[in-house]
Amino acid sequence: MFDAIDTSGTGMTAYRTWLDVIANNIANVNDVSPTSGPAFQAQYVQVQPIAAGPDGVGHGVTETGLPASSAKGILEYDPNDPLADAKGYVRRPDIDMSQQMGNLIMAQRAFEANANVVERSTDIYKSAIDIGKGI
Amino acid sequence: MLDDIASLSLQAAISGLSTRQQVTANNIANVETPGFTADTVSFESSLAEAVGAGDPTSAAISVTPTGDQPGVNGNNVNLDSEVVTATKTGLQEQLLTGALTSTYGLISTVLKG
Repeated sequence: MFDAIDTSGTGMTAYRTWLDVIANNIANVNDVSPTSGPAFQAQYVQVQPIAAGPDGVGHGVTETGLPASSAKGILEYDPNDPLADAKGYVRRPDIDMSQQMGNLIMAQRAFEANANVVERSTDIYKSAIDIGKGI
Repeated sequence: MLDDIASLSLQAAISGLSTRQQVTANNIANVETPGFTADTVSFESSLAEAVGAGDPTSAAISVTPTGDQPGVNGNNVNLDSEVVTATKTGLQEQLLTGALTSTYGLISTVLKG
């Protein structure tokens, strides 16, 4: 009962996680670290479909992990930075802002689509509940 | 009395639409999942045959892959058509539940006299 709402719920959870991760990546886009340590690592969301039941109907999507990008980042010459090493280099995260913004739009639209289906499904279940009402 | 052909056909159709809504929800939940293959639900032709044979309960609901061309990440969900399906299924379901209520209303009229 009400499976369609649960299914869309898994989609909303997955895309909200993606939005959270993108927000965190963008918030840290200018982090500076010394060359002796790792740079901030951008995270990605890994998902897979939830296996279908015996009737062949799938049950949505589930997050399977948050892999991080390389810790090497980009070496940048900035001798005035207090974290710079003897040669004047610091590490900055290797985050592609345009890619992050593209992902942000995809995650937002996908979240909206799932929220939309929750509404449609609610209408359907409501009308099913109302069968025989008023007779 | 409550299991006449009309009621049973409506019930079978509502059940098919409910499955279609679940499948649509699953397709949209996986709209960005790499390698995901979208499914589609068909029950109308099977139901038409079953009604023709006089037994709507024998109608089968089949869930099959859409066969659409996948994109670069192997995902073939078409968001536009899925949202249209979700909306259409919702309206069809309201129509059918209304018809079922009317059918039961007739019986109710008879019972109340």
